[in-house]
Amino acid sequence: MTTSSREFVYGKFSDFYGDPSTIIPPPTLLGQRELGFLLLKERIMLRHKGFANIRDLKLFLGEAVPSDVYRSCAYYENPTVEMDKKGWLGADLVFDIDADHIPTSCDKLHDEWACSKCGFSGKGVTPEACPICESQKFNTKTWPCEVCLESAKEETAKLIDMLGKDFGFSDKEVSVFFSGHRGYHVHVENEAVKTLDAMARKEIVDYVSALGLSLLGGEAKGRSARRRRSRGFSLHNFGWNRRLKLGLRDFVLKATKEDLINAGVKRNYAVILRNKELILKRCIDEGRWSSVKGVSVGTWRKLAEYVKDLESAKIDTVVTTDTHRLIRMNGTLHGKTGLKKVEFPAKHLEDFDPFEEAVAFKEGTVKVVVSDVPKFRLGGRVLGPYKRQTVEVPTAAAVLLICKGRAEVAS
Amino acid sequence: MQMETVRFTQNDLAKYPFLKETAEHMKKLGLKIEDLTNPEMAQILNRAEERVKNAILSVSVGRKRENYVEIPSFPVAIILAIATKNSFIKKRYALAEAKQAFIDMQLENRERIVAIALDFGWNLAVNHNSEIPLEFEVNFADYLRNTAHLRDKKWKLVNRILVNGKVYLNKHDVARLLQEEVQRRIEERLEATELPNFPEKITDLAEGLLELAKERIGQEEMEGFPKVVSQSAFPPCIVALQEAVAKGHHLSHVGRFTLTSFLVSIGMPSEKVAELFKSFSDYNERLTRYQIEHIAGERGSRTRYTPPQCATLQTHGVCVNRDALCRWVRHPLAYYRLKLKRG
Repeated sequence: MTTSSREFVYGKFSDFYGDPSTIIPPPTLLGQRELGFLLLKERIMLRHKGFANIRDLKLFLGEAVPSDVYRSCAYYENPTVEMDKKGWLGADLVFDIDADHIPTSCDKLHDEWACSKCGFSGKGVTPEACPICESQKFNTKTWPCEVCLESAKEETAKLIDMLGKDFGFSDKEVSVFFSGHRGYHVHVENEAVKTLDAMARKEIVDYVSALGLSLLGGEAKGRSARRRRSRGFSLHNFGWNRRLKLGLRDFVLKATKEDLINAGVKRNYAVILRNKELILKRCIDEGRWSSVKGVSVGTWRKLAEYVKDLESAKIDTVVTTDTHRLIRMNGTLHGKTGLKKVEFPAKHLEDFDPFEEAVAFKEGTVKVVVSDVPKFRLGGRVLGPYKRQTVEVPTAAAVLLICKGRAEVAS
Repeated sequence: MQMETVRFTQNDLAKYPFLKETAEHMKKLGLKIEDLTNPEMAQILNRAEERVKNAILSVSVGRKRENYVEIPSFPVAIILAIATKNSFIKKRYALAEAKQAFIDMQLENRERIVAIALDFGWNLAVNHNSEIPLEFEVNFADYLRNTAHLRDKKWKLVNRILVNGKVYLNKHDVARLLQEEVQRRIEERLEATELPNFPEKITDLAEGLLELAKERIGQEEMEGFPKVVSQSAFPPCIVALQEAVAKGHHLSHVGRFTLTSFLVSIGMPSEKVAELFKSFSDYNERLTRYQIEHIAGERGSRTRYTPPQCATLQTHGVCVNRDALCRWVRHPLAYYRLKLKRG
C-alpha cells in the first residue's frame, strides 16, 4: 500500500469514528468486556482495554483510529488486568462462519496466493504446500465474492435452525451479524450457557457439525464391519435423526445421477432414480428402510453419511470453544474491507445483502489505479471487472479495493 | 411444571450422605473433630476408615451400617482422606462414593431422582412428551456439564435426542450423570486448602491408609511418569506433529500447544522442547522459550498445562492415524502411560 493510499484509508476511518452520527451499539455489559484494537498507523495490537460506557469508547476510537475493534465474548471482574487475574465470569456462545472454511462453487478463483519462499503463485484455493518448493507459507489476496458470502449464509441458516429447534434458544437470545468481510457471526446470550467451559462448548461444536454422530456405524460398538452392517438402519423423528431423515428425503427427491455417484452410490443409482416415489414413501416415510430391492442398508448408510455433511453447519471450531475470544465489535469497520460489522434479525437472513447494508462510506468518488479485480457489486452499483486501469469509483469501493490490496489511490 | 418436593428420609441421608440436606443434619448433630477420639465414636471412625480402605482396594465403600453410624461416618471419611494428603487416594475415594450412589440411584423412583438432581441445581423433570419414550428431560447445559468428558460416544450431545433445549434420558443415564456430580462435589470437599491440626488418632489412620495405597497401587502409578522419555510410546497424533515439525511444516495453534504440553507433561525439559521448534521459519528463540515455559507452568499463572484430550483433538483436526491402542484411551497421555506399561 502506498503512503497516499494509507493516508486516504486512515482519513476515511478517522472520519467514520469521528462522525457524531456513527452509532456503535454497545455489547451487553460493556464494562465487563475486554476490548482490543489494531491501530491503523502503528500496526500494533492494543489489548486489555476496558470502557465503562460507549461514549468514552467512541471518544477513544476517534483519537486512536483503529483498523479493527474487538471485544471479548467473555465477561470479567477486571477486564483490564492481565489474563490470569481478570476473573472470568462467563462468556457468550459465539459462532464464526467464514467462507474460507467452506468449499464454494466459485472455487475461490478470485483469490490469489504466492509462495513466500520461492514466489510461485496461482489463483483459487491456497494449496497445502507450494508445488515448487513445498514451503507452507503464502501471501494471499482474497476477495469477498457473492458466491462465497451466499455459501456462508446457507451455513448460517442451518446453524440458526439448530440453535432454535434443537437448542431451544429464543429469537431474543440469538443475534446474527455480517462480519464485515467473508462471513457471518452468530452470538448467543443465555444464562445457562454463559458459564459452560471449553469442553462443553466443544460438544456444541460437534453437534452443529455432526462430528461423532454414531448411528452411522463408525467405530463405536460393533467391532466388525459385518456386525455393523447387520445392525440395520433406522431413524426416529428427533434431534439429528430428524435432520438426517428430512435431509435424505430432500436429497432423494432432487437427486440426479451425478448427485448419487458423488454420494458414493456407484452401481445402483438407476434403481433409486427409477423408484424415487416408492423409496420416499416406503423407506423414508414408513421407516421400512430395506423394503426396496437394490437399496440396501449399506446404501442408506452411504447416503446418510453424505447428507450429514450437507445438513451440518460448517463453523470455525476454534472460535466457539475459546472462552476468552476477542471478536469484532458490532458497528465497527473491518480493516480488510472498510465494511461494517452489522446486526440484522435472523428471520431476514435470506434477504440480507451485505454489499448494501454493511456499506459505511456512502458519499463521494475517488480515482484509483486498480491492478486486478473481478466484477463486483457494492452500494447499489455494479463495478468492474478492472485490470490495470485507472477508474473513478464510489468511496466505499475505493476503500474496499485499497484495503484488499487491489488498488492504490491515483496520484 | 412444578413437582411436589420429596422429603428425604434418614435412610436417604445414609444412602446419599453427600446431599446438602445431610450436611444440614450433621450440623445439627454438632460433631467436632476433637470428639473423634472419644471411645463412643469408635464405631463411626471404624466405618469411616472402612469407606476409604474399600475405595483404595476395590473402588467401593463397603456394606452400609445403622443410620446413626452411617451418616456421620461420611464426613469423617472425608477428613481421613484429606489427612492422607494424597491426591490419588482422594480421587479414588470420591469415585468410590459416586459409584455407590450410582448403584443406589438406579433403584429409586422418578420423584426421588428428580429430588436428588435438584440438590445439584439441575433442571431435571419427568418427561411428559409421550412421543419420546424416555423418562426424563434435562436442560442441555446441565447435561453438558456432566458429559463433556465422558468417553463413550453415546454421551456425545450429537447422539442424543435434543429438542428445544432439552435432552431426553432414561433413568440409568440420569443416575450415571448424577454420579459425575457426586464425584465432583466430593472432590471439592476434599480440596480443603487450610488443613486443621488433626488429632493423633486421625493422622495415624491416615498414615495406615497411605501405606496401604502404596502397597496395593504402587508408588509409580500414584506419582505419574517415569523420568526417561520413551519416544516409542508416543501416540500417533504426537508422532505426526513431531514429523511435521521436523519437516518445518506449519502447525496450527492447537497443534503446537498439543505437542508442547505433551512433551512437557511427560518430563522433557523446556530447553529440549524448544530445540524442536528451531526449524520453523518464524522461529524466535526468546518467544518460543517463553511460550514453552508458560505451558510448563514455570511462568505466569504457574498452571501446568496438559494436552487436550482426544475428543478435542478430533474437533480441531489434530487426531490422525488412529491405531488399535487409541480405542482404549481418551487422552494422549493415557496412551503414553498404557503403552509404557505394555512395553
